[in-house]
Amino acid sequence: MTKLFKSAIAIVGTVAILSTAACSTPGDGGTDSQGATGGTLKVLANGDVDHLDPQLTAYVPVAGVMHAISRSLIGYPTVEDPDARIVPEGDLAAALPEASADGLTYTFTLRDGVSWGAPDGARPLVANDFERGIKRLCNPLMSGAMLGYFQFLIEGMDTFCTGFADVAPDAASMKDYIENNDISGIESPDEKTIVVTLTEPASDFIYMVSLDAAAPAPIEALDYLPDSPEYRANFVASGPYTVESHSPDALLVLKRNDAWSADSDTLRKAYVDRIEMTMGVEGDSAMQQLQAGSADLLFDIQPSPANIQQLKAVNDTKLSTMPNGGVDQFMWINTKTSNNGGALQDIRVRQALQYAVDKAAVIQTMGGEELAAVNNGIFGPGIVGYLPYEPYPTTGSKGDPEKAKALLAEAGYPNGLTLKFPYRNLGLQPDIAQTVQSSLEKAGFTIELTPVPPTDYYANLMTNHDNAVNGVWDIALVGWSPDWQGGAARSVFQPQFTFNGTPQAYNYLDYNNDEANEYAKQALLATSPEEAAALWHKVDESVLADAVILPIASRLKANYHSDRVVGFTPYALSQNGDWTNVQLKK
Amino acid sequence: MTILPKTPSRAAREAAAVVQRSSTSLTLRRLVRDPASLVSMLVIVLIFAFALAAPLIAELTGHGPTEQFRETGLSPAGIPVAPNSEFLLGTDQLGRDMLVRLAYGAQISLLVGVVASLFAAGIGITVGLTAGFFGGATDTVLSRVMDLVMSIPFLLCAIALVSVLGPSLTLSIAVIVFFSWTGLGRVIRGQVLALKHREFVEAARSLGASGFSIMYRDVLPNLIVPILIYTTLMIPSAIVFEATLSFLGLGIVPPTPSWGGMLADAANNSLYLVAWWMVIVPGTALLVTTLSFNLLGDGLRDALDPTSARGGK
Repeated sequence: MTKLFKSAIAIVGTVAILSTAACSTPGDGGTDSQGATGGTLKVLANGDVDHLDPQLTAYVPVAGVMHAISRSLIGYPTVEDPDARIVPEGDLAAALPEASADGLTYTFTLRDGVSWGAPDGARPLVANDFERGIKRLCNPLMSGAMLGYFQFLIEGMDTFCTGFADVAPDAASMKDYIENNDISGIESPDEKTIVVTLTEPASDFIYMVSLDAAAPAPIEALDYLPDSPEYRANFVASGPYTVESHSPDALLVLKRNDAWSADSDTLRKAYVDRIEMTMGVEGDSAMQQLQAGSADLLFDIQPSPANIQQLKAVNDTKLSTMPNGGVDQFMWINTKTSNNGGALQDIRVRQALQYAVDKAAVIQTMGGEELAAVNNGIFGPGIVGYLPYEPYPTTGSKGDPEKAKALLAEAGYPNGLTLKFPYRNLGLQPDIAQTVQSSLEKAGFTIELTPVPPTDYYANLMTNHDNAVNGVWDIALVGWSPDWQGGAARSVFQPQFTFNGTPQAYNYLDYNNDEANEYAKQALLATSPEEAAALWHKVDESVLADAVILPIASRLKANYHSDRVVGFTPYALSQNGDWTNVQLKK
Repeated sequence: MTILPKTPSRAAREAAAVVQRSSTSLTLRRLVRDPASLVSMLVIVLIFAFALAAPLIAELTGHGPTEQFRETGLSPAGIPVAPNSEFLLGTDQLGRDMLVRLAYGAQISLLVGVVASLFAAGIGITVGLTAGFFGGATDTVLSRVMDLVMSIPFLLCAIALVSVLGPSLTLSIAVIVFFSWTGLGRVIRGQVLALKHREFVEAARSLGASGFSIMYRDVLPNLIVPILIYTTLMIPSAIVFEATLSFLGLGIVPPTPSWGGMLADAANNSLYLVAWWMVIVPGTALLVTTLSFNLLGDGLRDALDPTSARGGK
């Protein structure tokens, strides 16, 4: 599941501020605007990578690091056009796979010349490496965050993983199990061909294969515990760069991977020689360094609305925004609590909330229409299934307090209700919470705001489902970024709005909707993106009809870079400029 | 030339011509003669008036303290507007009137400052008096308790407490009281140690006065000077404590205005870059208030203690 909100805004953390990026080399005296090959790309970060292991990472900005050091079968082109940016194409695979007529079998063919930067020199990357990567997802020490999408979809993977769970979590035992057990649904008839068999048709399977989690793994990866310091120090790369060094929360240095050949890669040009990512930098300091030219790109830091205001005032063209497919913010309405005599279990009360919230005001608080847009469904723009619509329409999305009051009165609460509303005490969240509070109070609700430390919000408050049942919160704002781009509706719907008896961390209320499930099932069987989109939209409508969630906004990701950077173009998965395709001015 | 003999009646007449002044009036005269103290007092009175007039200011401007003016008080991109005729001190990030919020924030700051200082003074006096007067094991235990409290890191403890109990005004005051009483406690203890060997204490004791009677009737009135000075000086630190807590999101819960919270609003999301008034307005208010209380405290010390370096003017 996506650790999205780390990525949302520059994290105002208690991270010690380390001295800023290494010594600056401003301007280099040249005025040439053309980029050139070579140089060191300096990236500024507030926090560290979540994992440096492709199978484990789930943090959006890390997709940029992975793009440089790890390749998957499928990738996305680095282009300006937002529609073209999410059209998958072959990365390690020579082309998109051929699907069988029943939609259950996919055949991938590896490109010529793809190889590992193994310790003893370049070694060809072979078909079997893909299966090894998938197998690592369910290692008993630390399973991959994306495991859930694959475990029941690839034939035989569930059996493999069930057996793996009993293996001792040490490197030798895990290696032994991986090398001596197979996933029946992944076959390698020869060194270049991979055949994957699914348990059910999945129209989004090729998108899932683009994830870092599905990247092939080299045999060397099995010699160390997943993502251990030893693993990181002995990283074997398939991308144009490899890990030179990593000091946690301080510095990550990537150098060229000599085994990589430009001919084998249509997605990466790899202009720069080195990439240095300095961590522990706060938002304002990072922006100042970029403007001064002593650093080039941002990792998990975003320009704040105030920064953006200043940049816009001087028409700075280095500022750009892109949609990220997520819905951020949206509100869960707690139907499990018995607070207020279970008032929120009455759909009319929930509908009153839907009409009461002034979404336009929230957009303004988030930085205006250039940084956010009203979103009324579960899917954000850019996701197959997103369609602008308004199930609870109000003029200008400003909310309709009168209609809300009427619905409340109809439900038997003419004097309003008191609701508990915890919020994350981070970035814009307090402002957004107060904006929502203000509009709800106009409709007769009394809102008790409670600040929650950002680290506790998801980890302790929301994902502990007892808090919902015990009425610790009545309404709560969260956000969600899909785990991949394009055909990613599954990664929005499945983890949040389905319940089959096993609680899911991010389905805070164990919400389930049979009608939506049925449409989702059909959408995964769809043969064309248009058909899938129409069906996913029906899923969206079914969920919204219950009024349990209240979508408010989709945010645009703002990016900025230094003047030294030439050819800054967004990469869909990292929602940032592509490190492997930028040049530095000489 | 005749020299008038000094008769008792004349001596009495002369004595009547010299106005006998009480200690309070002498103190006030000294205080008023110090311009810094005078201005500070005036400023403090004004701040109190400003705080009390908060509802009136809200009435006059027509702006509630938590009312959001999204059309006139914010740009479409959510950037606050600078001071103008509608919003005399500008607006904050949610389009709320800074002037009205400043006035309501003053209520919180003064309330916390005064209430916390009074409570802290009460505890400090009681503990200091008990420790100094009884001495021995009582003193050892109470002094070590004071050392212990002084050695607890204020912010860490506050953060821990707030995460367990949730932020609130009462908790803020409690935290401030807990960390403020030790200074006065130590001073009182030292003074009591010196006083209890003085002759009037011996006299009271030989007259058969009980320990408690000596403590409250003989020793305590002699401590009025340090108590007044330290309590006055505690007010600004309590105000800054509160602002610190609110700045870190551990104090007053939004949308209730507080000066520390207003400063935090400016710091969050780099708004100070485009809205200087969000820093200057609450920052100046905080500075002026704490400075005034500190200057008044200094002036009080000089006025109450004529033997000090600047006293006796």
